[in-house]
Order: sequence, then C-alpha cells, then structure tokens
Amino acid sequence: MKTDTAIYIKRTKKKRRRQFVKVLIATMIAAIFATLFLMPIILTITNSFMSASEISANYGQVFATTDTGGKTFIAERVNLKFIPDMVSFSQYITVLLKSPDYLFKFWNSVILVVPIVAFQIFVAAGASYGFTRCQGRIKEMIFFIYIILMLMPYQVTLVPNYLVSDWLHILDTRWAIWLPGIFSPFAVFLLTKYMRRIPTAMIEAAQIDGAGEWQIFKSICMPLCKSAITSIAILIFIDYWNMVEQPLILMSDVEMHPLSVFLSKINEGEVGLAFAVATIYMVPPLLIFLYGEDYLVEGITYQGGIKG
Amino acid sequence: MCSFKRKNLNKHKGGKRVKTTVSKQGKRGKVISWGFLSPSLLGVLLFFVLPFFVVIYYSMVDNPINNQFVFFENFVRVFNNMAFKQAAYNTFRFSLVAVPLAVLLSLLLAMMLDSKIPFRSQFRTFFLSPMMVPIASVVLIWQVLFHYNGIVNDALSILGTGKTDWLKSAHAQIVIVILFLWKNLGYNMILFMAALSSIPKDILDVAVLESASARQIFWHIKVRYISSTILFVTIMSLINSFKVFREIYLLTGNYPYDTIYMMQHFMNNAFTQLDYQKLSAAAIMMSIVMVIIIGILFLVENYFGKDMEE
Amino acid sequence: MKKRMKKIITFILAGAMIVSLAGCGGGGADKPQEIKKDFYYVPENRKLDINSNYIEGVVAKDDQIYMYGNSWDEKSGISVGTLYCYDLVNDTIKEIPFKTDDNSSVYKMLLNKAGNLMMILQRYEEVISEEKMIDVEASEESDEIVYAQEAAGEGVVAETTIGGDDLYTESVEFNHYIELIEVSTADGSVMNSVDITAVFGNNQDFYPQYVATDANENIYISDGNSCIYVIDAGGNKLAEITLDDWVDGMFSSKEGDIYIKMWGAEGEEIRPLDLNSKKIGNAISAKGLLERSNHYNQRYYEGMESSLLVSDSTGLFTYDFTTDVANDMFDWLDVDINSDDVSEAGQMSDGRYWALLHDYMGDEAEYYIAIMKKTPASEVVIKEELVYGTIWTSQEIRKNIIDFNKTSDKYRITVKEYQTDDYTSGIAQFNNDLASGNCPDIINLSNLDFARYASKGVFEDLYPYMEKDGIQKEDYVENVLTAYEMSGKLYGIIPQFYIHSAAVKSSIAGDRTGWTVKEMLEVAKESGIENIFQYGSRMSVFYYCIYNNMDEYIDWETGECFFNGEDFINVLEFAAQFPEEPDYSDEESISSKIHENKVLLLETSVSSVQEYQMMSGMFGEEITFIGYPNSEGKGNLIQPTNECIAIAAKSEKKEAAWEFVKGFMSDEYQDGLVSEHANWGFPLKKSALEKQFEMDMTPSYYEDMDGKQVESPKTSWGYDDFQIDIYAAKKEEVDAVRKVIASAERTATSINEELATIITEETDAYFKGQKSAKETADIIQNRIQIYVNENS
Repeated sequence: MKTDTAIYIKRTKKKRRRQFVKVLIATMIAAIFATLFLMPIILTITNSFMSASEISANYGQVFATTDTGGKTFIAERVNLKFIPDMVSFSQYITVLLKSPDYLFKFWNSVILVVPIVAFQIFVAAGASYGFTRCQGRIKEMIFFIYIILMLMPYQVTLVPNYLVSDWLHILDTRWAIWLPGIFSPFAVFLLTKYMRRIPTAMIEAAQIDGAGEWQIFKSICMPLCKSAITSIAILIFIDYWNMVEQPLILMSDVEMHPLSVFLSKINEGEVGLAFAVATIYMVPPLLIFLYGEDYLVEGITYQGGIKG
Repeated sequence: MCSFKRKNLNKHKGGKRVKTTVSKQGKRGKVISWGFLSPSLLGVLLFFVLPFFVVIYYSMVDNPINNQFVFFENFVRVFNNMAFKQAAYNTFRFSLVAVPLAVLLSLLLAMMLDSKIPFRSQFRTFFLSPMMVPIASVVLIWQVLFHYNGIVNDALSILGTGKTDWLKSAHAQIVIVILFLWKNLGYNMILFMAALSSIPKDILDVAVLESASARQIFWHIKVRYISSTILFVTIMSLINSFKVFREIYLLTGNYPYDTIYMMQHFMNNAFTQLDYQKLSAAAIMMSIVMVIIIGILFLVENYFGKDMEE
Repeated sequence: MKKRMKKIITFILAGAMIVSLAGCGGGGADKPQEIKKDFYYVPENRKLDINSNYIEGVVAKDDQIYMYGNSWDEKSGISVGTLYCYDLVNDTIKEIPFKTDDNSSVYKMLLNKAGNLMMILQRYEEVISEEKMIDVEASEESDEIVYAQEAAGEGVVAETTIGGDDLYTESVEFNHYIELIEVSTADGSVMNSVDITAVFGNNQDFYPQYVATDANENIYISDGNSCIYVIDAGGNKLAEITLDDWVDGMFSSKEGDIYIKMWGAEGEEIRPLDLNSKKIGNAISAKGLLERSNHYNQRYYEGMESSLLVSDSTGLFTYDFTTDVANDMFDWLDVDINSDDVSEAGQMSDGRYWALLHDYMGDEAEYYIAIMKKTPASEVVIKEELVYGTIWTSQEIRKNIIDFNKTSDKYRITVKEYQTDDYTSGIAQFNNDLASGNCPDIINLSNLDFARYASKGVFEDLYPYMEKDGIQKEDYVENVLTAYEMSGKLYGIIPQFYIHSAAVKSSIAGDRTGWTVKEMLEVAKESGIENIFQYGSRMSVFYYCIYNNMDEYIDWETGECFFNGEDFINVLEFAAQFPEEPDYSDEESISSKIHENKVLLLETSVSSVQEYQMMSGMFGEEITFIGYPNSEGKGNLIQPTNECIAIAAKSEKKEAAWEFVKGFMSDEYQDGLVSEHANWGFPLKKSALEKQFEMDMTPSYYEDMDGKQVESPKTSWGYDDFQIDIYAAKKEEVDAVRKVIASAERTATSINEELATIITEETDAYFKGQKSAKETADIIQNRIQIYVNENS
C-alpha cells in the first residue's frame, strides 16, 4: 500500500511537472502568436508618432509618390521602427487641426455606418421574430435564401445593387449604401438563431395569459435578446466600418466617401499622414471591442451553426 | 447545435398540449408573424432577390448597351476565358491552402487557451483584435512588411536567403494566406472555444478515470463532440476565403500578380469595363458553386446532428 | 419616466426613418434626368443702342442699369465717356448729362442708399514747371498736394524745349489723384467731391480692382493684391487691412456684410471682413459657393431673397450664407447665351433676370441686354431635347450649340457634363448612363476609350447619313475622316484637327518618315545625343518609346504578350540612362541644344503651316516629323483641336443629332475655320484646307517710303528663346505640311489607362533601382497578361 501511494505521488508529481512544461510551451506559443497578431496594429500606432519626413525617409521605397517639396532623403532600405526617432505629434496636429478633410471623411464613415447598424437591427428584430414564430416550410426556404445571400461575396450582388440604386435614383447618394445595408440578411440570420433558443413554452405561456404577438415581441423576446442585439450590433459595425467596395461603386462623389476608402488610396498621396489617419480610424472599433469584447465573443458563439 | 434539438423537442411537446386552445390564435399569429417579417422581406426582395433576375438577364445578352439575346454564349465564353480560369483556379487553390490552415491553427489556439495557461482572457483579446481592425488601416504596414526592400526580406537576408518580391511573385499567395489567417483565426478560435467548453465535464472525468491517454481523449471525445463546429468553421473559413478580395485589392489593386488574381477581381474589372454580361455569367456560376457548398453543409450537418442525437 | 422617454425616442427614430425613406423616394424624382421641368427661363434679347465701344462700372438698382461707356473718337484721338441709364422695364436708354474733364476717367461706380452714384475717379493733372515753380507751388498749397506728388511718383517726363536763346530743362509731371464723387442720377450733377488720394498712401500703381459697400455705406476698395482700404461715404479713411495673400474677389451680401475670396491652405476660401476689428475673419464654411469655384468668370451680386446672386461660366445661381445652399437658376446655355459674352447680370424687382452681353463676334463689339423670364412650362413651346454628353465643353462647341438651338425650331441641345473631381468617376457616370439607357444623343469622343465603346456598339455609323445627304467622303481629308473608322463604319467626326508628332533633324533621321523602336534606339546611340528631349526623364523617354507601340507587345488576336521579350527590356534599359528627374536648372535653350545635337527630338504639334515654318526655322535645316516609334513606322497621331463628335446608336433622335453633326461638315463651318492667323488646327474639308494653304502662301505687303511694295511679315512666332517672323509660306513648306497630315492615321488614344497604371507602377520600381530590367519586365508581363486575358 505504502509503495503504491508513493508511486501514485511520484506519478502525480511527474504528471504535474509534465503538465507544467506543457502549460509553459502552450503559453510560449500563445505569446508568440499574440506578438505576431498584435504587431501590425502596434506598428501602425507607433508609426503614427513619426514626423512626416521620418516616414518618407523610412518608407520612401515602398510608396511610389513621395511627398513633394524638393529632394527628401530616402533610405536605401525600408526602415521599420517600433519606436520613432523622435516622438512627434505632427501627424496628429495636421490631421486634426490643419486639414479638416480627414475629420470630414471620418464623419462620413460615422454617418454611413451608424444608421445601418441601428436600422438593420431594427428591421432584423422584426424579421427574426417572424421567422421564430409559426415556422413552416416556406419560412425555412426563405431563411435558407437569406443564408445564401448573406454568404455571397459582395461582387456577386454588385450589379443588382448597382442597378437597383439606379432605378430608385439613389445612386450617388448615401441611400445607396444605407438601404442595402439596412436590409442585409446578416443580422436577421444571427438574431433568428438566438431567438429560436427562447423556449417556446415561455411564449406559449404568455399567449395563454392573453398576450398579443406585439406584446410578446416587446415584453418577452426583446428583453431576452438584449445581449444578442449588442453583440450583433458590434459585428455589423465592424463589417461596415471596414467597407471599401460599396462606396467606390455606388457613390461617385469623393466628398461623401468614408475614411476607409480614403485610407485605401492614401498611399497615392500624403503618406506622411497615413499612419495617424489609420490609427484614428482604428480607434472606434478598438474601443467598442475593449468595452464589448464579451458581447462580441457571445455573438460569435451564436453563429456556431449555419442552421437555426 | 444541441439547442436546435432541444427546441424541436419543445415544439413537439408544447404543440400537442395547447393545440386545442390556441388553434384560432395560431392562425392569427401566423399572419402577424408574416407582418413582422415583411419589412425585411420586402427589402431583401428589392435589394437582393429581384435584381438577381436582372443578373440572369444580363448574363444572356451580348452587352448592356446592345442587349441582344445570346442565351448561353456568355457562359461558354466566360468559362473558356483564360482570366476566368486563372481566377477560378487561384480562388480554389487559395481556399484549399488557407481553409485547412485556418481550421487547424484556430483549433490549436483554442486548445491552448482551453488548457490552463495564464493570461487566458488577455490572449483571447489579442487573438481577436485583428478582426476588429479595419483592413484599410493596416494595409500600409502590410506593404511595408512585404515590400521588395521591406522588413521580411531584411529579416530573411540574415538567414541568408535571397530577396523575394513577396507581392509580385509566385510567393504572393503566401502573404495573402498569412493576412487571411491573421484576420480570421481569432474568430474561428472563439467558435472552437465555445464548442470545447460545451463538452460535458463528466465524460472527460470518466475518461481520465479510465486512464485514457490524452491522445485518445482528444480524438475520441473532443473531436467527436466538436465535429459539427469543425464543419461550421470550415465552411465559414471557406466563405471568408472568397472574401479575401478586399485585402488583395487594397494591397495590389485591380491587376495583381497572376497568382493572387481572384474571382472577384475578374468580376470587379468586368464591372468597370462595362462587361456586365461577363460579370453576370461569372456571378451566376459562382453562386451555383456557393449554393452547392452550402447545400452540402446543410445535409452534412443534418446527418451529424442526427448522429449526435442518437 | 425614463422608460417612457426611451419609448418616445424610439418612436421618433422610427418615424424619422419612415419619413426620410419616403422623402428619399420623392428626392429621387428630383433628379434632373428626363424629368420635365415645371417652368423654363425664356430669354428676350434687346440691342443696346449706344455709341460706346466699351462699358464699365455697371451698377443696377430699381430696374435701372447705370453704366459708364467709353468711346474712342478717331479724329480727336480722345476717349469720350458717357454715363447711361438703361430702364429694364421699358427698354429705354438715356444719357445722363455727366461729363468728366478730359484727364479724368471713371474707375468704379457704386450706388448709395439715396440712389446717387458714388464714383471713384482718377484724375491726371499735368504739371509743367521748372524745379523752382514746384517749390513755390508746394509751399503755397496745402500739404495734401505734396502728398499727392509723392503718390504720383513716376509720371515724370523730362522734356527739352528750345525757347529763344536759352536752353532750359522743364519737367512735366503727371499728378495723379483719386477722387470720390457723388453724382445725381437725375441730372448728372456732381453733388459732392472728395480727394481720397491720401487714403492709398504710397501705393503708386493703385487700381481699384474690387469695390463694395456695406450696410453703413462704407466703401471697401481692394487693389487686387493684398490690401483693402475702407473709407466712409464722406471719403474719410476708416481702415487699411493687409492680407497675406492676393484677393481674388470682394463682394457684399444682401445682409450688407463684406466677404473676401482668396486662396488659403485648403484652396479657395471665403472670409468675412470685420470693420470693427479691422481684420478679415477665418474662412467660413461655404461649400455651396466654393463647390463651384472651379467655374471661372465668377461675379457676385447682392441677392434679392438670398445673400448673393452669382454668375459664372456655367450659369446663374443664388447663394445663401445662413443655409449654405446654392440654388441654380439657369444655365447660360439654356437661355441661348454664350457665357463668355456675359459681362454683368442681375435680378429685376419683378423677379426676372437680366444680363449685359458683350458680343465679340463682329468687328464692332456690340452690347445686348438679355432678359430671362421664368415662364410656366405650359406657356413655352417645348422643343425636343437632344443631350450632348461630354467630359468637358469647349467654347467652340458651346457657340455651335447656341446657334443650333436658336435656329432649330424642333430641337434644343442640352449639355451633360461628366465632369467630376476626377476623370474615373466621370467615366463611371457615363458608363452608368450607357448601361441604364440614358445615353446622350450626341457624344464627344475625345477623352474616351473609343475602341472599347465602339466594339460594344455604342456609336452610330455615320456613312449612311453622309450618303443620304450627298456628302462625299472624298471631299474631306480622308485619313483624318477615317481616324474613327472601325470595320468600315465611321463612328466619329473631327471637325478640326492637328497632328501630334516629334520632330527630328532630317540629317539624323535619314530618309525615314517614321521609325520602329529598334531603329530609334540605334539612331539615338549613333548620334551621340545627351538626351532625347530637352528635359527628358526616364519616364518620358520610356513612354515616348512605347506610347504608340503597344501593339508590338500585345497580340490581341492570340491573347499573347511580349513584355518580357528582349525588345521591351531594351527599351527599359535605354530609358534608364536618362536622369530620373530632369535638370530644370539647365537653361540652355532648345534651339541651341538641337543645333549642337545635344537633344534628338522635339515633341510638338503641327497645327498650322506657320507652326511648321517656325519649327523649320528653329531647326535651321530640314526636319522630319517622325512621330512616335511604331512597328509600322507610322508615328504621327491625329488630335482633334476641340472635340470629336459621335452619335449614339441608341438615340431616338438620330436624325436631329445628325443635323447638328452635319453642321460641322458644312462648307460654311469649315470655311469659317480658315484663318489668317494660326488657328490651332486644320479644317477637315479639303476645299477649306486648300483655302487655308492659299492664304498661308499669300504674302502681305506694305508700302515703303519710296512707294514700293515690300513683303511684310504676316506675324511672328517664338519658341523658348527662338523668334521668327513668318512670311508667306513657300510651296515646299505647304507640301511638307501636307505630307505630315497625310502620314497620320491614328488618334492619340492608344494607351489604355489600366495598362498605363500597371506599367508606370512597375517601371517606377525599376527606375528607382530596386529591380533589374528583366524582373520588371516579367512582372509587367505577368500583370498585363491578366488584362489581356480578361479582354480576349
């Protein structure tokens, strides 16, 4: 018996040591991944504290057009630096104070994205309730179509989108982005999946108590979906904050373009400011992420299966 | 997925119990439920479904100006077009490489976070953050990294390898795969973590008590339990791999090096050149492929779902 | 309570959305396309019966236009000024008996609240005096005069007069005064007069470029540079405001505020002027106004309902500062007015608009008044609309459109400009119109990728129309007429053209009339030149080599590309010899560089015989217009001087569109292009071209002192430091021009934009020394291959 316990203890000790090594290795791998994952983001932020001349000296090789204004020094190699030679807020000063154009574009992004997030949720809440209640074959079919539409690459729906906008005479206006965004099936899909988890018994109990559909929707469904709605809103926000193709095709007026489009073209122009603008553009989603990470994770988790 | 079954069960039970009392209300409820659905339905019909018929129309005319009916000629021409073939091949190849990698690596990350390593929640945050960053913001850094005279080449030159023009050579797909993984691993990882945590604790405990090896536990219990999630992650990665165009477009423009010329490049360029017929034909072919993929997923998930239920 | 608030907010939001959605539907209908307007502005033209050649200082109030006309009296050699008052309602003009003395001229006029004219006059005073006399005068007069003399400054002419036996020097000085006078509009009497010379201090070249009055009748005067002077109605100086930059405009609003237009960090800015702080304020947000600041010829007037009434090169619009909204009233084209002719505009008290037009067409400039009346659509004979679609509108076509609209009683042409901030979005809009069936009836082909559109059947074949109207193809310069021909169909007409080319000494080119890249590279190597062009850079040399020669690298038939072949790599390596950035500090002139064989080529146009004469004079020897390297050795390119006109195949009014296009082919139009002076292009019709040549060969004479006829130069040309008098052309010279014209077959739109982008991007890396020529060529090959595959 004694030996047995000794062996057992020995074994567990060995096991523990092995366990420790395992955890250590796992932690290290995770740390390496984490560094690689964060690097591009951190680099963008640190580079935003370089002066324009430092940027053009370091990256002149990469970007075809260097800033005008005589001969600037361009290093033979690209120098990527984690820490700028001299911390300078000149990029931010220019972006925030001297050229309101960037802030204007930032504002464009907000104007384009916020209504989409708000009203897509609004429309989707109704639709998901519709999908959840009284399911039938037809609704299943429609839901399947929604899923397919959701999963299509943008280019497939590009021509339809364009033509409809033209018919409705909303081409070159913000409506051309808003309306397809508001009716996008994405939120419907996620919210329906969530709502279908609400026990039917709850709803039926309310029904027996004499509650109408509207009351059930308002007083039972919506409060239960609060966290789901938050997480879906975050997902929609990221998706549209990132948009590039739609404005390029649907709005020819550059004045109305969001900052994401502007940023994607920035290396044709003022590279010296690009990093600051890029950082500013990252701030809203990152802030939302920091405050709403748990919701986001929850939201992704609901997606766990294609079928409802 | 479990919830899906539970819900089904509930419906059966509940349905029987209240059948007599709510049948009248049920009919009304049905009408009202369609009312709830209608705004979204109208929008989707208007902005996504009906226009699709226009796409079918355009796929059968010679060009959007002349509008002469040519039936399936466009499909034949697009199918025989070298650029289309190249795009289809690249898209396919990219998915073939990127999707398994995305599934495996994210599963690995999820397992690591599932074991009891310190700073779990911090790591989760780190892995998820690329998903949040607008791609336009990091394109610049990406260009700096993979430029001919960029950092990656500098680093590799220490190892003694020659310079590679990452974005303009056969290696371009590697960069795109890395970018794709960077952006999507976090998302997949979350899905796997949820699945792993949903494995009933008692089963694992029993397995440990029966002194099953870690490998056995992994293959026989974990993989079996998360199989449907693996499937889902595979499909989502596949879908997302079709969406990698935005990244490529921002990095390299309309006409990139031919190994990263994707299906969406083909469509996008056809659009700007007013070749709606080409775009429409390609879009329809792509849609058919997508519907088949999603259909297969449905069948497979149904099958697995039943398997688990038994 | 909180919950209720939430509910309310939700409902408001939902309501807002529904309303705005509905509004959107309505908003969509407002789009100008195809929508019939409720009303039109109908113009009425009146000739102004005045003797003056030139009108200035136009001001209007209560439907009376006051203007100051100058007429040049040939006999006396004096300019005579007359003050007119034109009654807009009754169409009567009367002279106001106001006379200035001979040395005075009216700079600017304003109206004060009492309805009298405030004039800023300039008066010269000739002071003939000996040195001494000035002293005496100076001591006698007040110090104001002394000041004025300082201001007058440079008008000093030393004159030597012989008077009797004595020889003494007498200086003539022009004293230059600026006066502010108040003139009664009733009888022209001067009610008040103040000398305001002192206000402008030492500003000797003072000229009041812009004047404006505010609500308190203070007068703001800007010299157009960077100084603004403010005086009150009594002529007392209130302020002098100096700015960092030039003033581009100064105007008052209906509210009586003064605004300045000037260049700032973000381009054109509007800044208010504040008299209390004696400063100009920060730029205000006036997007509605600045949006249109790319339209030239802007003039600002106080509005009747809104702050401003603005006239520019496109049309007339009102603008309000409080709402920052600009409202278009009409396009000048819509009321058959050439915007170049508009010299002033305004609104009448009954809401009609008026414009003072200056017609430069004839020898004698004439003034017209046009009155535009808003008329309900029901009362207007609405003509069918023909849409002319273009990227930009030249004055030439504007004129023709107005003429067409005035003469045609069934159709009127409206212009649709696809001109936005950048070229690509304009093209995208055009594509959209094509795809949605809103295609313009008449299309300006220049700046469009002709071949791509033609292959989609966008354009109508013009040959059947020509045949039907008996227009002979042979009557036109055939190679130019057929420049836009494709598989036997003619898609566009270039009414007036020039040849784009590159000139080389014949002694270097040998007997070639064109060359391939290979030949060109050999010649360049052998001749030992420093550069291909005067300021040739790697890029410009490179593009010269491939510009007209893409077909050598792309075989569209088989879909093959040859950019990685030796030929292309040779071109890259050749171009790399030249400086990346040309040295612009090198000031040696082009003519001397050509003489010394330092520079091989001069990129040039051949747009007239005179230009050819100038070129051959500059080269000093025989020249060959060899053009751009090309595998067939045909390097000269045809360029339209203004536009190239096509008819849309989908148009429902092709016959009417043809009527318009036909006008450009008529003898009347073509002969009108013949000009004594170089006209930036040749007429398309052979007969007109021959007339032009004949005119070029006709010498002009003057009579010398002995009464002999001596040939005089027709004109003189200059290029860089080279100057030449042009005499009548010799037959050989005309023949040489004929040869150049005949040698061109294609138009200059051969490089596709996508290809150019790819090539520029990649060659840039090569020219920066990042990659080898082979690597670069491989990448170009790879990327262009995709493009070619897509399009084959």
